[in-house]
Amino acid sequence: MTPIKLRKTDVVVIGLGAAGGVAVLPLARAGLKVVGLEAGGWFQPKDHLPDEIRNNVRNWPHAVQKANREVPTARNGPEGPALPRPAYHPMMNGVGGTSLHYWGQSWRLKDWDFKVRSETLRRYGPSAIPPGSTVEDWPLSYEELEACYDKVEYAIGVSGKAGNIRGTIDQAGNIFESPRQREFPMPPLRSSGFADKMAEAARRLDWHSFTPPAAINSVPRNGRSACYYHGFCSRGGCPVSAKNSTAVTTIPEAMSTGNLQVVPQAHVIAIDSDNQGRVTGVLYLKDEQEYFQPASVVLLASYTYENTRLLLLSKSSAFPKGLSNNHGQVGLHYISHSQGWGVWNGVVGLFPFDVNRWYGMPAQGTAVDNWADDNFDHSGLGFIGGGNMHVPMELKPIEAASMPTFGQTPRWGSSWKAFVKKNAGRWGATYTQVSSLPYEDHFLDLDPEVKDPLGNPVCRVTVSLKENEKRAMLFIQEKAEQWLREAGAIAVERAPLAPIAVNTHAYGGTRMGDNPETNVVNRWGFSHEAPNLGLLGASVMGTSGARNPTLTVQALAWRTAEHLVTEWKSIAL
Amino acid sequence: MQAMVSRLIPSDENGPGAIEAGCVRYIELALAGAYRSSKDTYKSGLAALDSDARIIAGTYFASIPPAEQDKILTAFEQNTSAAGFKESAAFFELVLAHTWEGMFGDPSYGGNTNFVGWDLIGYPGPRLYVSPEMQKLDAKTPHSRVSVKRLMHDSH
Repeated sequence: MTPIKLRKTDVVVIGLGAAGGVAVLPLARAGLKVVGLEAGGWFQPKDHLPDEIRNNVRNWPHAVQKANREVPTARNGPEGPALPRPAYHPMMNGVGGTSLHYWGQSWRLKDWDFKVRSETLRRYGPSAIPPGSTVEDWPLSYEELEACYDKVEYAIGVSGKAGNIRGTIDQAGNIFESPRQREFPMPPLRSSGFADKMAEAARRLDWHSFTPPAAINSVPRNGRSACYYHGFCSRGGCPVSAKNSTAVTTIPEAMSTGNLQVVPQAHVIAIDSDNQGRVTGVLYLKDEQEYFQPASVVLLASYTYENTRLLLLSKSSAFPKGLSNNHGQVGLHYISHSQGWGVWNGVVGLFPFDVNRWYGMPAQGTAVDNWADDNFDHSGLGFIGGGNMHVPMELKPIEAASMPTFGQTPRWGSSWKAFVKKNAGRWGATYTQVSSLPYEDHFLDLDPEVKDPLGNPVCRVTVSLKENEKRAMLFIQEKAEQWLREAGAIAVERAPLAPIAVNTHAYGGTRMGDNPETNVVNRWGFSHEAPNLGLLGASVMGTSGARNPTLTVQALAWRTAEHLVTEWKSIAL
Repeated sequence: MQAMVSRLIPSDENGPGAIEAGCVRYIELALAGAYRSSKDTYKSGLAALDSDARIIAGTYFASIPPAEQDKILTAFEQNTSAAGFKESAAFFELVLAHTWEGMFGDPSYGGNTNFVGWDLIGYPGPRLYVSPEMQKLDAKTPHSRVSVKRLMHDSH
């Protein structure tokens, strides 16, 4: 098939999700002509239904998507056995991407996360760096990213309560957060009875609890409604557009400038480069026709797995091992976030009273940071890092009935029925996120056997559970159990620890750093090797932090876009 | 299938079970649509239940007493079917998951007739707007008695 060659544009953004969907705004505002290639389509508020079977059981809309035909494979270490390949890709295609249906938690990382290596050396000495870890300090500090965090919080709309404004601590917010320049654009989401109960328990333990930040409107904002708190937020888009996906915030705003052209259902096949090592444009498939979109600059913003895969598939004479991979760094420093929720490393408590989680959203609730990051002395603990703990709301009926049985009954029959009649509304859980590091034998590459429908290899994940993360997770499970019991839990069940190979929080593969020998992109997010190629997404992050990555991804994307605007002449040539 | 799901969630002193909820209809509709790829698993799994029943009691699974049916189901759950059916645990887990969906899922999918599943676990039903009072620990929220389809139809 001969591709149809389109007219050259200033910038092509591959993927209009959380990252690409934010980057288009500063570009379009500056007058650059932007083409946004998105593998999925547009969704309307009426496409988002409070329907557990559709959203959660049958995984709408993942089931019919491009991403779902190229789900990564996984194995437990380079020599280890295969890990189960998930039935569904963790991310969705669509204008707005997974920000359409994510929980909306919008955390800033802690300043510590940007300098884990040097801070660990300083406080605990060289032996505290976990063996085999390739962790480096980020090439930028929290302070350098702060302005972009602030801009994104205001651009998309984040609700929350500041705990540290320019060094002034406010007990009503998260006292452990790194300083921010001003208050959130919206007050925090409201509390609930169970969240209050857990907050009181935290106080009794002498821990500090607070309402976590969320990209959900707590009050009407920019012509859109405040949250209705009806639930079905996890894996469900918002029928009243109170969740601040990029599809209802930065993308339409960028389109209103007249400088952003959105191309939905565009399946990107490769990024083209010339003999000088500069990218020249993007080859994509739409309605069974190939197109070539020439551009002065390409920003790759798919997702961690696809960012690496697309680079490795985009070979040329200048890049025989894959685009921007002449140093062999593409795919390395992969991190799978050590998340704890339900069967994945989770902790669940059974209470002797109804906790009433039937409504509300996962981003609602209460959180504790006392045991996160480096907020406590790790001497003698045998690990670095820690975990944020958060007690979310939202309990859907099938989820409620498939609750853990705490060893009290089989999972069916009359005794089970009596058990769920009494207890389906009486369980609560913590969502824990433990800081996770890159290791020399954790990486992404192309699967030698499994291919997508176009015949291209899918991404292969090689990961395992390392001692540092295992100890940190056990430590956090212990704290989570303590918290649930303090709030009155009469039984607690902990899931066994396991790595989440194919993860909603996946980092690395195109790591950011000053040294081109160990990193793919520079401190601005542009390739060390192909100077007019930028990388957006958690694939550039060198540490995970102990909290959801999306806001950091968006702040970095904003920063890369702003840098491109400022340095347009030197980058675009 | 009817015999199996009626043992997974029996009708008893705690109210209607899988049969009254319409779990069979839910599963049949799903197998004709979204779950069509599971048709063969059901076919071989249900046949294997009968094989076990024949070995143990000389007749069909549906014809033996509930206590005997439960023994066979327990064996399936533990992947130790008498007839040596290798996929018995996988089949059991699949049917259990689908039965939960039929019992506790939205009625518009064919199950949860008259909201019997939601009544069993005390779920007050989907609603578009939820007040702060409805999120209190001692909230006495009335059941919305509405399916998602109806709810969204009325609100658009």
